[in-house]
Amino acid sequence: MWKSIIKPLNIVNKAFLSPTENVVHQQLRTTYVLKRKTPPRLHKKNSDPKPLRSRHYVYELVKNEELEKKANINVILTTYVEGLGNKGEKVSVKPKYAYQDLLLPGLAVYESPENVEKYKDFMTNPMSDVEAHSSPTAMLTVRSLSGIMLSVVMNKDTHWSLKPWHIKVSFRKCGYIVPEHAIIMPEQEIKGPNMDLENREFFVTVKINNKETVPVRCRIHHWSTEVKDRIPYASEFWKEKVEPIFDEHSSVLNSIPHKAELKK
Amino acid sequence: MASQAIKTLGLFKKPGIFDKGVGALLPEAYKKFYKEWKLTEPTAVHFIPEQGSFKRDDVTGEVHPIQNIPLPVLYPKEHNFHLWGGEGIIQGFQVRGKKKRRVPHFWVPNLRRSVVYSEVLDKHISVIVTERTINLIQEHFGFDHYLLKTPACDLKSILALGLKRKILQDLQNGCPSYVNKPDKQKEIHDRYRNYLSAYTPDEINWYGYSFAQACRMVQEDINKKEEEAIVPLKHVFRAQLIDQLKAADLEIEENSKYGEPKAGSWLNKINPFGKKHET
Repeated sequence: MWKSIIKPLNIVNKAFLSPTENVVHQQLRTTYVLKRKTPPRLHKKNSDPKPLRSRHYVYELVKNEELEKKANINVILTTYVEGLGNKGEKVSVKPKYAYQDLLLPGLAVYESPENVEKYKDFMTNPMSDVEAHSSPTAMLTVRSLSGIMLSVVMNKDTHWSLKPWHIKVSFRKCGYIVPEHAIIMPEQEIKGPNMDLENREFFVTVKINNKETVPVRCRIHHWSTEVKDRIPYASEFWKEKVEPIFDEHSSVLNSIPHKAELKK
Repeated sequence: MASQAIKTLGLFKKPGIFDKGVGALLPEAYKKFYKEWKLTEPTAVHFIPEQGSFKRDDVTGEVHPIQNIPLPVLYPKEHNFHLWGGEGIIQGFQVRGKKKRRVPHFWVPNLRRSVVYSEVLDKHISVIVTERTINLIQEHFGFDHYLLKTPACDLKSILALGLKRKILQDLQNGCPSYVNKPDKQKEIHDRYRNYLSAYTPDEINWYGYSFAQACRMVQEDINKKEEEAIVPLKHVFRAQLIDQLKAADLEIEENSKYGEPKAGSWLNKINPFGKKHET
């Protein structure tokens, strides 16, 4: 019924066979690890083991390591990866993500002694590369900001000229905390209230960590505290394309992807 | 025969696969690989071997030897096309409660399709693997290091062994997949070169074949040599005839050169074995 164990006739010294010293001293087990419920009978020295009985095939599960939580592994990035880091940076990530999304596409290499030596210069001075970014999430922020259309809501009754703090407040309204010194306003001054500017576009430039810059599409809306003076609400106003306030802004505004064209 | 009897001290030795048939013609290089593959004890994957050689019973104080008898593991033929990393199927029983009968159970590895990247071959290969394989690759810092460092008894599958042979052959030929990038070629070759020292060229050529494949290779070689040895008689006779004709031509030329054709004696014209004239 049961296949008997084929006892290795000659147990060759494995250390002799393996060309170099085995680096994996700790045995790795991500599989079923079982244990016999009844230990097999002892056999004489230098003789074949005694045949196994049915009861020696009753096993108990010691552990199934596939269900256990895996430890993170360290990899060295070979290029800038959004949300992770610059070239040459050592990051600790989950093993599945590391293998499928970083190591196989070639975005990272294993943290072997050879690679550590190779990427040493980048590790000590990560900014030495031209492509280095100010932070792992800098490009994510750039991508996020370039996708929005900022509604700058201004007063319809009192006089105003557009200042960075107006833009800062508008940003805060849609969830972005932008300090005033990071906002670069358009060169010409925008003054109001002026109904010619209503629902017209311009752009401001946001500087991230004093390094990356991103133009952000803005649109002016007038608003009054008096309910009867308010401009009626246009549904899905962000989908329609409108004229820029300044003609020289049109080239930059055309280069920013429009909200209507972006797919969710 | 007498010498054989002296060697075995008169005991009958059952002929093994390398003592009979085509197996006896296999080279020493293949036998070495076979020993590494089938006759070496593999790493314990499905059980935790006890350390040490003796242990003392906690209660009675008796000393017993430690004998680690491995769990029998099954390897279906499909595993030869996958990379299981030493895992296999365990057939056994479970007891799922104190008053329950034992129930037959198979512990089967969790297989999934993934990709492995070989740096020497410069290829991404889509294969069916277990999680253990991926972990081993990561522990060894790459698929090539994993294959080259692991002995055949742990790789087991024909696919893994065949890839190992291919990698070793490529290393021998100086990484031909990077022909267009000499810098990269040198870097990769330097990185893996030291693995070649464990094998001779003949051993690399015979590495990673199953016994049947190796026998087929030997048989094909023999057939080819036999075919080459047999020359059709047609060709032999044609060659002989051409030689004869050439010799005859030379004779005629020589005769015409020096003139004086031999005076035909009237005796030559008489054929004593000619047709008898009936009177």
